[in-house]
Amino acid sequence: MEFDDKVPIYYQIEEYIRQQIISGQLAAGAQVPAVRQLALDLTVNVNTIQRALSHLVQTGVLVSKRGLGNFVTTDAHVLAALRTAAIQAPLAQLYDRLAALNLTADEMRAALETYIAQREKESE
Amino acid sequence: MTSLVDVTALTYRRNHRTILTGVDLHLAANRIVGLLGANGAGKTTLMRLLSGLAVNFKGHIAIAGATTATARKGQVAYSNALAETAPHQPVTALVDFWATCYPDFDANRFAALAGELALPLDQRLEALSKGTRMKLQVALTLAREVAVYLLDEPFDGIDSMTRKSILASIITWKPAKATILISDHHVTDIAPLLDEVIVIKDQHLIAHEATERIRAIHHQSIETYYEQFYEGGHEND
Repeated sequence: MEFDDKVPIYYQIEEYIRQQIISGQLAAGAQVPAVRQLALDLTVNVNTIQRALSHLVQTGVLVSKRGLGNFVTTDAHVLAALRTAAIQAPLAQLYDRLAALNLTADEMRAALETYIAQREKESE
Repeated sequence: MTSLVDVTALTYRRNHRTILTGVDLHLAANRIVGLLGANGAGKTTLMRLLSGLAVNFKGHIAIAGATTATARKGQVAYSNALAETAPHQPVTALVDFWATCYPDFDANRFAALAGELALPLDQRLEALSKGTRMKLQVALTLAREVAVYLLDEPFDGIDSMTRKSILASIITWKPAKATILISDHHVTDIAPLLDEVIVIKDQHLIAHEATERIRAIHHQSIETYYEQFYEGGHEND
Protein backbone atom coordinates (compact mmCIF):
# COMPACT_ATOMS: atom_id res chain seq x y z
CA MET A 1 0.00 0.00 0.00
CA GLU A 2 1.30 3.45 -0.97
CA PHE A 3 0.53 6.28 1.42
CA ASP A 4 -0.19 9.89 0.60
CA ASP A 5 2.22 11.56 3.01
CA LYS A 6 0.07 14.70 3.22
CA VAL A 7 -2.87 12.84 4.78
CA PRO A 8 -2.76 11.32 8.28
CA ILE A 9 -1.62 7.71 7.96
CA TYR A 10 -4.12 6.41 10.53
CA TYR A 11 -6.93 7.80 8.38
CA GLN A 12 -5.56 6.09 5.26
CA ILE A 13 -5.35 2.78 7.14
CA GLU A 14 -8.97 3.18 8.28
CA GLU A 15 -9.97 3.79 4.65
CA TYR A 16 -7.94 0.77 3.54
CA ILE A 17 -9.71 -1.53 6.01
CA ARG A 18 -13.14 -0.07 5.22
CA GLN A 19 -12.50 -0.70 1.52
CA GLN A 20 -11.42 -4.27 2.21
CA ILE A 21 -14.69 -4.83 4.07
CA ILE A 22 -16.85 -3.23 1.38
CA SER A 23 -15.12 -5.16 -1.41
CA GLY A 24 -15.55 -8.41 0.53
CA GLN A 25 -11.84 -9.13 1.01
CA LEU A 26 -12.56 -8.92 4.72
CA ALA A 27 -15.90 -10.69 5.21
CA ALA A 28 -18.44 -9.93 7.93
CA GLY A 29 -17.22 -11.55 11.15
CA ALA A 30 -13.71 -12.16 9.76
CA GLN A 31 -10.68 -11.59 11.95
CA VAL A 32 -8.51 -8.58 11.15
CA PRO A 33 -4.75 -9.32 11.11
CA ALA A 34 -2.94 -8.59 14.38
CA VAL A 35 -1.68 -5.06 15.01
CA ARG A 36 2.00 -5.95 14.66
CA GLN A 37 1.33 -7.96 11.50
CA LEU A 38 -0.49 -5.00 9.94
CA ALA A 39 2.38 -2.74 11.01
CA LEU A 40 4.84 -5.05 9.26
CA ASP A 41 2.68 -5.48 6.15
CA LEU A 42 2.23 -1.72 5.75
CA THR A 43 5.62 -0.68 7.26
CA VAL A 44 3.86 1.62 9.66
CA ASN A 45 4.25 2.43 13.32
CA VAL A 46 2.29 0.11 15.66
CA ASN A 47 0.77 3.16 17.40
CA THR A 48 -0.65 4.35 14.08
CA ILE A 49 -2.27 0.96 13.37
CA GLN A 50 -3.63 0.92 16.92
CA ARG A 51 -5.15 4.36 16.45
CA ALA A 52 -6.84 3.37 13.17
CA LEU A 53 -8.23 0.13 14.63
CA SER A 54 -9.45 1.87 17.81
CA HIS A 55 -11.38 4.34 15.73
CA LEU A 56 -12.91 1.55 13.64
CA VAL A 57 -13.92 -0.18 16.89
CA GLN A 58 -15.40 3.08 18.22
CA THR A 59 -17.48 3.52 15.08
CA GLY A 60 -18.71 -0.08 15.27
CA VAL A 61 -17.05 -1.27 12.05
CA LEU A 62 -14.81 -3.64 14.01
CA VAL A 63 -15.57 -5.50 17.21
CA SER A 64 -12.74 -6.02 19.67
CA LYS A 65 -12.78 -9.35 21.51
CA ARG A 66 -10.52 -9.37 24.54
CA GLY A 67 -7.54 -11.64 24.02
CA LEU A 68 -8.70 -12.68 20.55
CA GLY A 69 -8.21 -9.56 18.45
CA ASN A 70 -10.41 -7.49 16.17
CA PHE A 71 -13.23 -8.79 13.98
CA VAL A 72 -15.35 -7.25 11.25
CA THR A 73 -18.83 -6.52 12.58
CA THR A 74 -21.67 -8.84 11.62
CA ASP A 75 -24.22 -6.03 12.15
CA ALA A 76 -26.00 -5.72 8.78
CA HIS A 77 -27.02 -2.10 9.45
CA VAL A 78 -23.41 -1.04 10.07
CA LEU A 79 -22.20 -2.89 6.97
CA ALA A 80 -24.93 -1.37 4.82
CA ALA A 81 -24.14 2.11 6.15
CA LEU A 82 -20.45 1.54 5.36
CA ARG A 83 -21.33 0.63 1.80
CA THR A 84 -23.69 3.58 1.37
CA ALA A 85 -21.09 6.02 2.71
CA ALA A 86 -18.44 4.63 0.35
CA ILE A 87 -20.74 4.99 -2.66
CA GLN A 88 -21.79 8.50 -1.67
CA ALA A 89 -18.44 10.22 -2.24
CA PRO A 90 -17.85 9.21 -5.90
CA LEU A 91 -21.56 9.75 -6.65
CA ALA A 92 -21.49 13.26 -5.25
CA GLN A 93 -18.44 14.05 -7.33
CA LEU A 94 -20.04 12.65 -10.49
CA TYR A 95 -23.30 14.54 -9.87
CA ASP A 96 -21.50 17.85 -9.27
CA ARG A 97 -19.46 17.49 -12.46
CA LEU A 98 -22.43 16.58 -14.60
CA ALA A 99 -24.52 19.35 -13.03
CA ALA A 100 -21.72 21.78 -13.85
CA LEU A 101 -22.18 20.77 -17.48
CA ASN A 102 -25.85 21.80 -17.17
CA LEU A 103 -27.20 18.27 -17.61
CA THR A 104 -30.78 17.73 -16.45
CA ALA A 105 -31.65 14.87 -14.12
CA ASP A 106 -33.08 12.86 -17.02
CA GLU A 107 -29.98 13.44 -19.14
CA MET A 108 -27.79 12.29 -16.25
CA ARG A 109 -29.81 9.10 -15.79
CA ALA A 110 -29.72 8.41 -19.53
CA ALA A 111 -25.97 9.08 -19.76
CA LEU A 112 -25.26 6.79 -16.81
CA GLU A 113 -27.48 4.01 -18.23
CA THR A 114 -25.77 4.26 -21.63
CA TYR A 115 -22.33 4.24 -20.05
CA ILE A 116 -23.08 1.17 -17.89
CA ALA A 117 -24.46 -0.68 -20.93
CA GLN A 118 -21.31 0.21 -22.88
CA ARG A 119 -18.99 -1.07 -20.13
CA GLU A 120 -20.99 -4.28 -19.76
CA LYS A 121 -20.71 -4.87 -23.51
CA GLU A 122 -16.92 -4.25 -23.39
CA SER A 123 -16.38 -6.76 -20.60
CA GLU A 124 -18.35 -9.50 -22.33
CA MET B 1 5.22 15.96 33.56
CA THR B 2 7.95 13.36 33.78
CA SER B 3 9.02 12.09 30.39
CA LEU B 4 11.15 9.11 29.49
CA VAL B 5 13.74 11.45 27.99
CA ASP B 6 14.23 14.81 29.70
CA VAL B 7 16.78 17.23 28.32
CA THR B 8 16.87 20.79 29.61
CA ALA B 9 19.08 23.71 28.53
CA LEU B 10 21.70 21.39 27.07
CA THR B 11 24.78 23.09 25.69
CA TYR B 12 27.85 21.25 24.49
CA ARG B 13 31.19 22.64 23.40
CA ARG B 14 34.16 20.69 22.19
CA ASN B 15 37.57 21.99 21.09
CA HIS B 16 36.36 25.60 21.52
CA ARG B 17 33.50 24.95 19.12
CA THR B 18 29.83 25.00 20.14
CA ILE B 19 28.05 21.91 18.82
CA LEU B 20 24.68 22.19 20.58
CA THR B 21 23.10 25.21 22.27
CA GLY B 22 20.12 25.42 24.62
CA VAL B 23 18.51 22.14 23.64
CA ASP B 24 15.25 21.24 25.39
CA LEU B 25 13.79 17.86 24.53
CA HIS B 26 11.11 15.80 26.23
CA LEU B 27 10.08 12.42 24.84
CA ALA B 28 7.35 10.13 26.17
CA ALA B 29 7.58 6.33 26.30
CA ASN B 30 6.51 4.19 23.34
CA ARG B 31 7.43 6.57 20.53
CA ILE B 32 9.43 6.29 17.34
CA VAL B 33 11.01 9.67 16.75
CA GLY B 34 12.90 10.93 13.70
CA LEU B 35 15.93 13.10 14.45
CA LEU B 36 16.38 15.20 11.31
CA GLY B 37 19.08 17.60 10.26
CA ALA B 38 21.85 18.13 7.74
CA ASN B 39 25.23 16.48 8.22
CA GLY B 40 27.11 18.31 10.94
CA ALA B 41 23.97 19.79 12.50
CA GLY B 42 24.61 17.94 15.77
CA LYS B 43 22.50 14.77 15.47
CA THR B 44 25.29 12.35 16.36
CA THR B 45 26.49 14.61 19.17
CA LEU B 46 23.00 14.65 20.69
CA MET B 47 22.94 10.83 20.57
CA ARG B 48 26.41 10.61 22.16
CA LEU B 49 25.25 12.94 24.93
CA LEU B 50 22.02 11.02 25.58
CA SER B 51 23.86 7.69 25.66
CA GLY B 52 26.47 8.94 28.14
CA LEU B 53 29.40 8.70 25.71
CA ALA B 54 29.91 12.45 25.53
CA VAL B 55 30.32 14.19 28.87
CA ASN B 56 31.18 17.65 30.25
CA PHE B 57 28.05 19.32 28.94
CA LYS B 58 26.03 22.14 30.48
CA GLY B 59 22.39 21.55 31.35
CA HIS B 60 20.44 18.50 32.40
CA ILE B 61 19.90 15.06 30.85
CA ALA B 62 17.70 12.37 32.43
CA ILE B 63 16.66 9.09 30.84
CA ALA B 64 14.11 7.03 32.75
CA GLY B 65 15.29 8.97 35.80
CA ALA B 66 18.98 8.18 35.23
CA THR B 67 21.06 11.34 35.24
CA THR B 68 24.71 10.29 35.47
CA ALA B 69 26.49 9.16 32.31
CA THR B 70 27.12 5.71 33.80
CA ALA B 71 23.49 5.21 34.82
CA ARG B 72 22.26 6.39 31.40
CA LYS B 73 24.41 3.78 29.65
CA GLY B 74 22.21 1.15 31.28
CA GLN B 75 19.02 2.77 29.94
CA VAL B 76 20.16 3.60 26.41
CA ALA B 77 21.29 1.40 23.53
CA TYR B 78 23.25 3.35 20.93
CA SER B 79 24.09 1.96 17.49
CA ASN B 80 27.84 2.55 17.57
CA ALA B 81 28.94 -1.10 17.89
CA LEU B 82 31.28 -0.86 14.91
CA ALA B 83 32.85 2.46 15.91
CA GLU B 84 35.96 1.06 17.59
CA THR B 85 36.48 -2.52 16.52
CA ALA B 86 39.34 -4.46 15.02
CA PRO B 87 38.40 -5.00 11.35
CA HIS B 88 39.93 -8.48 11.13
CA GLN B 89 37.65 -9.80 13.91
CA PRO B 90 34.77 -12.11 13.02
CA VAL B 91 31.24 -10.87 13.67
CA THR B 92 30.85 -13.38 16.53
CA ALA B 93 33.76 -11.77 18.44
CA LEU B 94 31.99 -8.41 18.32
CA VAL B 95 28.75 -10.04 19.48
CA ASP B 96 30.57 -11.66 22.43
CA PHE B 97 32.22 -8.35 23.30
CA TRP B 98 28.86 -6.54 23.17
CA ALA B 99 27.28 -9.22 25.38
CA THR B 100 30.08 -8.78 27.93
CA CYS B 101 29.72 -4.99 27.96
CA TYR B 102 25.96 -4.96 28.47
CA PRO B 103 24.23 -7.24 31.00
CA ASP B 104 20.89 -6.35 29.35
CA PHE B 105 22.06 -7.89 26.04
CA ASP B 106 19.67 -10.74 25.24
CA ALA B 107 21.36 -13.49 23.22
CA ASN B 108 17.99 -14.92 22.15
CA ARG B 109 16.82 -11.58 20.83
CA PHE B 110 20.09 -11.22 18.95
CA ALA B 111 19.84 -14.73 17.46
CA ALA B 112 16.32 -14.00 16.18
CA LEU B 113 17.34 -10.61 14.78
CA ALA B 114 20.45 -12.09 13.13
CA GLY B 115 18.24 -14.71 11.49
CA GLU B 116 15.70 -12.17 10.23
CA LEU B 117 18.42 -9.90 8.89
CA ALA B 118 20.44 -12.83 7.46
CA LEU B 119 23.66 -11.71 9.17
CA PRO B 120 26.79 -13.68 8.18
CA LEU B 121 28.11 -14.33 11.70
CA ASP B 122 31.29 -16.17 10.63
CA GLN B 123 32.57 -13.38 8.37
CA ARG B 124 35.22 -10.84 9.32
CA LEU B 125 33.94 -7.33 10.02
CA GLU B 126 36.10 -5.85 7.26
CA ALA B 127 34.41 -8.13 4.69
CA LEU B 128 30.90 -6.82 5.39
CA SER B 129 29.12 -4.54 2.92
CA LYS B 130 27.82 -1.19 4.14
CA GLY B 131 24.25 -2.53 4.30
CA THR B 132 25.30 -5.59 6.30
CA ARG B 133 27.29 -3.40 8.71
CA MET B 134 24.15 -1.31 9.28
CA LYS B 135 22.05 -4.42 9.85
CA LEU B 136 24.61 -5.76 12.33
CA GLN B 137 24.63 -2.50 14.30
CA VAL B 138 20.83 -2.40 14.38
CA ALA B 139 20.67 -6.05 15.53
CA LEU B 140 23.23 -5.48 18.32
CA THR B 141 21.39 -2.34 19.44
CA LEU B 142 17.89 -3.84 19.42
CA ALA B 143 19.15 -7.02 21.14
CA ARG B 144 19.60 -4.99 24.32
CA GLU B 145 16.54 -4.54 26.53
CA VAL B 146 16.50 -0.89 27.47
CA ALA B 147 14.18 2.12 27.70
CA VAL B 148 15.66 4.14 24.83
CA TYR B 149 17.24 3.09 21.53
CA LEU B 150 19.33 5.47 19.44
CA LEU B 151 19.84 4.49 15.79
CA ASP B 152 22.33 6.79 14.11
CA GLU B 153 21.65 7.07 10.35
CA PRO B 154 20.71 3.39 9.92
CA PHE B 155 19.38 4.07 6.41
CA ASP B 156 22.35 6.03 5.12
CA GLY B 157 23.58 4.73 1.78
CA ILE B 158 21.83 1.36 1.80
CA ASP B 159 19.65 -0.34 -0.81
CA SER B 160 15.87 -0.58 -0.49
CA MET B 161 15.80 -4.29 0.41
CA THR B 162 18.16 -3.66 3.34
CA ARG B 163 16.09 -0.66 4.37
CA LYS B 164 12.93 -2.78 4.37
CA SER B 165 14.48 -5.48 6.52
CA ILE B 166 15.79 -2.92 9.03
CA LEU B 167 12.34 -1.27 9.19
CA ALA B 168 10.76 -4.68 9.81
CA SER B 169 13.23 -5.38 12.63
CA ILE B 170 12.42 -2.06 14.28
CA ILE B 171 8.67 -2.78 14.12
CA THR B 172 9.10 -6.34 15.37
CA TRP B 173 11.61 -5.79 18.16
CA LYS B 174 10.79 -2.41 19.71
CA PRO B 175 9.69 -3.23 23.28
CA ALA B 176 6.19 -1.82 23.84
CA LYS B 177 7.25 0.91 26.28
CA ALA B 178 10.57 1.78 24.68
CA THR B 179 11.22 4.90 22.65
CA ILE B 180 13.42 4.83 19.56
CA LEU B 181 15.23 7.86 18.19
CA ILE B 182 16.31 7.44 14.54
CA SER B 183 18.52 10.03 12.89
CA ASP B 184 18.18 10.55 9.16
CA HIS B 185 18.77 13.27 6.63
CA HIS B 186 16.24 11.93 4.13
CA VAL B 187 12.95 11.38 5.94
CA THR B 188 10.68 10.22 3.12
CA ASP B 189 11.46 6.52 3.30
CA ILE B 190 10.76 6.23 7.00
CA ALA B 191 8.03 8.87 7.49
CA PRO B 192 5.17 6.33 7.96
CA LEU B 193 7.16 4.75 10.80
CA LEU B 194 7.55 7.94 12.84
CA ASP B 195 5.31 9.25 15.64
CA GLU B 196 7.25 12.49 15.95
CA VAL B 197 10.05 14.40 14.29
CA ILE B 198 12.71 16.66 15.75
CA VAL B 199 14.68 19.05 13.56
CA ILE B 200 18.19 20.18 14.45
CA LYS B 201 19.83 23.05 12.61
CA ASP B 202 22.89 25.16 13.41
CA GLN B 203 23.34 23.73 16.94
CA HIS B 204 19.70 24.35 17.88
CA LEU B 205 16.71 22.08 18.20
CA ILE B 206 14.33 24.16 16.08
CA ALA B 207 11.24 21.96 15.77
CA HIS B 208 9.49 19.07 17.49
CA GLU B 209 6.13 17.95 16.12
CA ALA B 210 3.89 14.88 15.87
CA THR B 211 3.92 13.52 12.31
CA GLU B 212 0.15 13.01 12.13
CA ARG B 213 -0.29 16.63 13.26
CA ILE B 214 1.96 17.79 10.44
CA ARG B 215 -0.25 15.92 7.98
CA ALA B 216 -3.59 16.83 9.58
CA ILE B 217 -3.01 20.47 10.57
CA HIS B 218 -0.34 21.67 8.17
CA HIS B 219 -1.47 19.39 5.29
CA GLN B 220 2.18 18.82 4.56
CA SER B 221 4.30 15.79 3.94
CA ILE B 222 6.96 15.23 6.57
CA GLU B 223 9.59 15.86 3.91
CA THR B 224 8.13 19.27 2.99
CA TYR B 225 7.81 20.18 6.67
CA TYR B 226 11.46 19.29 7.24
CA GLU B 227 12.77 20.96 4.09
CA GLN B 228 11.18 24.32 4.89
CA PHE B 229 13.63 24.69 7.77
CA TYR B 230 16.52 24.24 5.42
CA GLU B 231 15.26 26.23 2.45
CA GLY B 232 14.64 29.36 4.48
CA GLY B 233 10.91 29.00 3.76
CA HIS B 234 8.32 30.48 6.11
CA GLU B 235 7.59 28.59 9.27
CA ASN B 236 4.11 27.41 10.08
CA ASP B 237 2.93 27.80 13.66
